[in-house]
Amino acid sequence: MTTLQLLVNGVALGAAYALVALGFVLVLNATAAVNFAQGDLVMAGGLLAVALAPHIPAHLPLPGIVLLPVVMVLMAGLGLLLAAAAYLPLRRRPPVAVFISTIAAGIILQNGASVLFGPEPRAAPPLLTGGTLDLGGLVVAEQSLAIVVVAALLIAGQQWLFGRTQLGRRLRATAQDPEMARACGIPVTTMILTTFALGTAFAGAAGLLLANRYFVTPTAGGDLILKAYIAVTIGGWGSVPGAVAGALLIALFEVGVSSVLSYPVALGLLYATLLVILVARPQGLFGEAARRRA
Amino acid sequence: MRRFLSILSATVFSASLLSGAAQAGDASVPVLVPLTGFLSLEGTSQRNGAVLALKDAPAGVAVRSEVIDTGTSPEAAVTALERAAGGKVTAVAASMLGTQMLAMLPLAQEYGIPLVTVSGTASITEQGNPWVFRFFPGDAVTKEAHARYVAEELGKKRPAVIYQTTAYGQSGKAHLEQAFKRLGVEPVFEEGVDPAAKDLLPVLTKALAAKPDVLVLHLHSGPTALFIRQAAANGVEVPIVAGSAMHQPSTAALLEPAELKGVCAETAASPVSGGSPEVEAFTAAYRKAFNAEPDAFALGQYDGIRMVLEAVKGGAGSAEEVRKALSAGTHRGLAMTYRSDGKGNMAHSAVIVCYDGASRVPAIAKRYDNVTGVVR
Repeated sequence: MTTLQLLVNGVALGAAYALVALGFVLVLNATAAVNFAQGDLVMAGGLLAVALAPHIPAHLPLPGIVLLPVVMVLMAGLGLLLAAAAYLPLRRRPPVAVFISTIAAGIILQNGASVLFGPEPRAAPPLLTGGTLDLGGLVVAEQSLAIVVVAALLIAGQQWLFGRTQLGRRLRATAQDPEMARACGIPVTTMILTTFALGTAFAGAAGLLLANRYFVTPTAGGDLILKAYIAVTIGGWGSVPGAVAGALLIALFEVGVSSVLSYPVALGLLYATLLVILVARPQGLFGEAARRRA
Repeated sequence: MRRFLSILSATVFSASLLSGAAQAGDASVPVLVPLTGFLSLEGTSQRNGAVLALKDAPAGVAVRSEVIDTGTSPEAAVTALERAAGGKVTAVAASMLGTQMLAMLPLAQEYGIPLVTVSGTASITEQGNPWVFRFFPGDAVTKEAHARYVAEELGKKRPAVIYQTTAYGQSGKAHLEQAFKRLGVEPVFEEGVDPAAKDLLPVLTKALAAKPDVLVLHLHSGPTALFIRQAAANGVEVPIVAGSAMHQPSTAALLEPAELKGVCAETAASPVSGGSPEVEAFTAAYRKAFNAEPDAFALGQYDGIRMVLEAVKGGAGSAEEVRKALSAGTHRGLAMTYRSDGKGNMAHSAVIVCYDGASRVPAIAKRYDNVTGVVR
């Protein structure tokens, strides 16, 4: 039963990391830009949910579900601002310029959140009731299930968007060769803005879900972007299934391995595994060899 | 937004202090604390405590001050101290971050500026530097109280110790080990946890497998709340005695009162628990000024700055005279009575607080006064 309990917790944690990686991969796939502010955008989404929660009418039984679309829409607006400030002016510069500008945007978000909300850890409202389910001795937090379900829906939605829609094809074309895409009549700037809006909306969803189960502080983004980066590197640069696999692998070490060995040893083994993957399969588990890693 | 307004009001307050004309006997007390970065929660409490003490300066003492954010790097703290040292300084409310204190200490000695802090890092008072004064009990005091409560009051003999892998956690774990050894208690489980760990069920599972009769935590705020929440969700009935992070109102705010039932914690003080009219007045003034709940760091820094101001009121006109007053004097503060042990450790008492499951405000269950025997 304990093993099953750890498995459930590990899947929920992996889904949470996958949600963070999702927006990162989305921007990466559509613009070839590495958005180092993604972790801080997740933090901003969590704190936005905390700030909006008191304004949800008390008679509504599931405030988290009401908040989710509101947070995603507002965060999409923040994504447009981020693109306008940190990406568009630098998109023809060397890639390192965008790395630095997104890192700067992340620090601004972090310090802004610290001033506006204070340094205390906060908890956002749960998506459902926030209780636990007892399934024959197996204690499952409703929020964990919500994270898994929302992550699955968003991942499936992203796959569908990129693989099955005209918008997705335009986004991919923009990422592969912006000049050729423009020559073919694709509104490249609009595509880029759309991508940042979507990626940041996903960050908002991740922030809301994570901030209830794992709390949120203004400095939480640094660890999240590290996990997202590792997940994407393990899974394959730009691969959505790879990012999910990478996120689940991180959770396997953090929950599964650490339940046998100590947490520091589990983290050490995770990074050792990352090194082995980088040496043996530099393109990642699901990646294409042609992609260049930042 | 209210948080922003409170910070703005503190800044305006500082500016108004600065605008006061400097007079002979005035106190100039810059506040150099970490307001951003990973220690911003505790640093903000420290700032608030210092600002409140300066605002409540004794009659006849005119105060000048400014607040400077030291962030988390030693370089920023040194720069802030150099900037503050440009004028006449009575004392500095100095960062609680140990690495920043260690960087500031040589400079404080060179300039002759007393550093008044609530840093818990043991080594800051082990440098032989006569200019540092710590108004917060170190691990030697708090972990002694922690272990004694577990062994003597609860009668537990099989503790499982879960600590953070940071310097804070390692120091606490080392002192807990020594204290338990003196009490004849052998921990059945010990493990460090990274502060970034999101799921603490693995360590909880391993700890319970060792069949402990008490869970002893020494974790930061978020991990403490996460651990207690997961323990409650899994129906763990083994009592939990946590470290000082649990007493912080912002930690309790993350949990439902029912999840806190039976949880105890060590701390230097718990202003929200009351205990005397003076402490209650401090808590009310703090809430009014900052729209937040005070913790032990705020109260410790408040007491420290009050001792500096009392020294100025008593005739200490220079930084050297203030240093002498802090070194040799005794101060009856709100949290405890302070006296230097010769190294600058001023605080020698700790309390254990416990939650009843009905509210997020703990009650003081046990006081451990003068643990080191320094206070006469």
